[in-house]
Amino acid sequence: MEHPLIFTSAILWMIVWGTVGGVVTPRIYLRRDLDVSQAGFAGATIGAATGPFGLVPVWLYTPKLRPVWSILSIIGMVGIFVVSFSLADPDNYCVSSGSFVASQLTNGIVIGIIYGLMALGLTLIFSILGIVSFAHGEFYMIGGMVVYYFTKVWFPGSHPLLALVAACLITFAIGTVFERIFLQPMHTGKVERPGEYAILVTFGLAFFLQYLVQAVAGANPVKASRFFDFPRLAFPSAENAWLLKTSRGNLTLFDTVSISNPRFTAAVIALVMLGLLLLFLYRTWTGKALRAVSQDRQAAAVAGINPTTMNTLAFALGGMLAGLSGATLVQAFSWLPQVGAIAALRSFVIIVLGGMGSLPGAFLGGLMVGLIEAAGTGCIPDPTRASSYIPAYGMIVLTLVLLLKPTGLFGREL
Amino acid sequence: MRRWLPQALAGLAILILLLFPLVYSRSDYNFIMHLWITAFFYAILASSWSLLAGYAGQFSFGHMAFMAIGAYGSGLFSNYLFWTSEPTNLCYEIQLGGRWLVLLDPIGVTSTQNTCLDRAIAAWPSSVVVTQPSLWFGILFGILLGGFFGFIIGALVLRLRATYLALFTIGFSEILRATISAEIPVTRGQAGLELPPLYPNGITVLGRFFDATDKIPPYYTMLLLFLGCMAIMAWLERSRFGLFIRSLREDEEAAAALGVNTVRYRILVFVITSMMAAAAGAVQGHYIGIITPNILIILQMSLVISMAVIGGLESIVGAAVGAIIVQFALELLRNSFTIGTITVDMSIWRLVFFGLLLMLTLRFWRNGLVYPILVRFSRAGVARETVAKRQQLPEGEDSRGAR
Repeated sequence: MEHPLIFTSAILWMIVWGTVGGVVTPRIYLRRDLDVSQAGFAGATIGAATGPFGLVPVWLYTPKLRPVWSILSIIGMVGIFVVSFSLADPDNYCVSSGSFVASQLTNGIVIGIIYGLMALGLTLIFSILGIVSFAHGEFYMIGGMVVYYFTKVWFPGSHPLLALVAACLITFAIGTVFERIFLQPMHTGKVERPGEYAILVTFGLAFFLQYLVQAVAGANPVKASRFFDFPRLAFPSAENAWLLKTSRGNLTLFDTVSISNPRFTAAVIALVMLGLLLLFLYRTWTGKALRAVSQDRQAAAVAGINPTTMNTLAFALGGMLAGLSGATLVQAFSWLPQVGAIAALRSFVIIVLGGMGSLPGAFLGGLMVGLIEAAGTGCIPDPTRASSYIPAYGMIVLTLVLLLKPTGLFGREL
Repeated sequence: MRRWLPQALAGLAILILLLFPLVYSRSDYNFIMHLWITAFFYAILASSWSLLAGYAGQFSFGHMAFMAIGAYGSGLFSNYLFWTSEPTNLCYEIQLGGRWLVLLDPIGVTSTQNTCLDRAIAAWPSSVVVTQPSLWFGILFGILLGGFFGFIIGALVLRLRATYLALFTIGFSEILRATISAEIPVTRGQAGLELPPLYPNGITVLGRFFDATDKIPPYYTMLLLFLGCMAIMAWLERSRFGLFIRSLREDEEAAAALGVNTVRYRILVFVITSMMAAAAGAVQGHYIGIITPNILIILQMSLVISMAVIGGLESIVGAAVGAIIVQFALELLRNSFTIGTITVDMSIWRLVFFGLLLMLTLRFWRNGLVYPILVRFSRAGVARETVAKRQQLPEGEDSRGAR
């Protein structure tokens, strides 16, 4: 970094004024007997984005704080961050090279779609059962493992789509059995303090499944082959044909952006699954029943929906979505019994960012986390350091969201 | 009747632990001693976590992070701070009395460059004395650092409940792990930070000399730390503090309405338990001699949780006993065996069994496996006494007390 002073002072400026805004604004609103529910968050964002120029008028006139201001301020904060970074480090690859930025952005969105699918499962579980499954990453890992074993060991040469179906069935079955045995008593009042019990018992499931897979499959990394070998796609290509016949191609857009084949197929499968899921949730009786239970348990029970069945279905379906995203990604990354942990942490970040229990929030959160990770990996000057910090980017987002706005982007009020 | 039984049993157990290294003399002496030291280490962690999670209801998954803060605080202290009798004029230094406290510059693992102190030593005459501060100050520094971070985390999570708190503390733990792995020049990253042994020059107790690699001094150090932590926690548990933090667990609003300063006690329980974890981490770090960021992986936290749950989440003694039992069971189950043609790799399968045991314990024995036994012992005779008293009452009166 050439001029680190510019960058650090911009960050410090935002932190200092964000803290001042977050601490002082609620006090002023409280003293004038106004609504303080939004004051802390709005004060922090306005302070961080505009400093004293925005804060002082707010303090003087104490207007009703609109959510739009916070959103604009957050965009402003991102703007300040980007501008100060590019001023401070003009030679950085992600400032000087437009095609690099475009490629990172596209790859971030592509991987974000799959993250979103996985987080969707977690948020579905939360919206129905009211718990966060700490074993979500293990479902993801098992999904990938099943695809690998199905296509390489059990039935070599079988079509990968069959393996995807098998992964779905197995993760669905594990979810059903676990929910029936361990989570069902929560809702019948057989365990004390069900919330804490759920945290610990899903944590225990994660521990158990991870080592079970390690004991059965070993600790060596495995990797499935690509699902589809498509010809090298270049759009639009220099030679008039935009289908070039090479066996193992990637998707290339406008000669600059290259998306690797496994990620592309994974994203397409994820989008198809997302469409099917929405169809299921909004067009079938069972899907509508699920949504009804998430809105009001008692009213749904009165209307003839069995909440117990819906619990099981939601948990199994959530686990299946995680398994499916693992199953699509096993062709892109090498697979270990430990891969679940990082994926689970990422899903936690996404659902907290999007708002716990919100389906669109989970999807948008997935895209955002994908972009943040892509930017973080591409732009940090020191590459070895950057790769060590990858899990931390999301965690920093999680920490900030939990501290400033625990309801997330689309969450219901706590 | 037998009211003295629990105290007598506890006294007997402490006596056995105190005498054990002097009496035991089989060939696997060093291995068993190592097991005991590690078991005490986990016992401190599990029992302090049970105070935090079982008593106060704060399900923190960041307990190992505080342990690591203690270990790394102490390790960095003993790797980067030196006393010299002359100023180096190259490093950051402060004059204290007639000596200079020198802070080394971080140079990393593979650097060919020498530290500022090495360069200064090369230029000095041999009369200059370079010594290290006592590592007990390092351990103290680690404990205080753990308490400081416990205070910060405790204050930050005031608004968060159950699930959110668990997520936040996992996040904290992961950020810390990433930072330690990434800041290689300072922490040496995955290569690990080396720590001097607890008694670098050996120690002479009662006329017997123990050298730095002897297991007996660290055994007693860890045992005393363990007993000290247990004593503090047992005292806290019986005091108003114990009542107040249990009221936080049951119903925070009601507790606040009844005049419990919930903010103070929530922060205080975080500070106390994280200081204990940091102390355990610092001493264990010096005993093992090297610490890596892998002490922060989720497996370690899972182990502490399963120890506390199997022992009894809502009992400090239960959690400690559970930790010792689980630690011994885990180590003694390491031996792989063969049935016919199938070799069972017990080093992995034992963890599978413990995962299953953790889930089943949670589901069917909410109070853990050890705690009910302890209760049986400590209430021995009480039931019979009550029955006997009831029978002495005149007819008709006992039916009021009966449900």
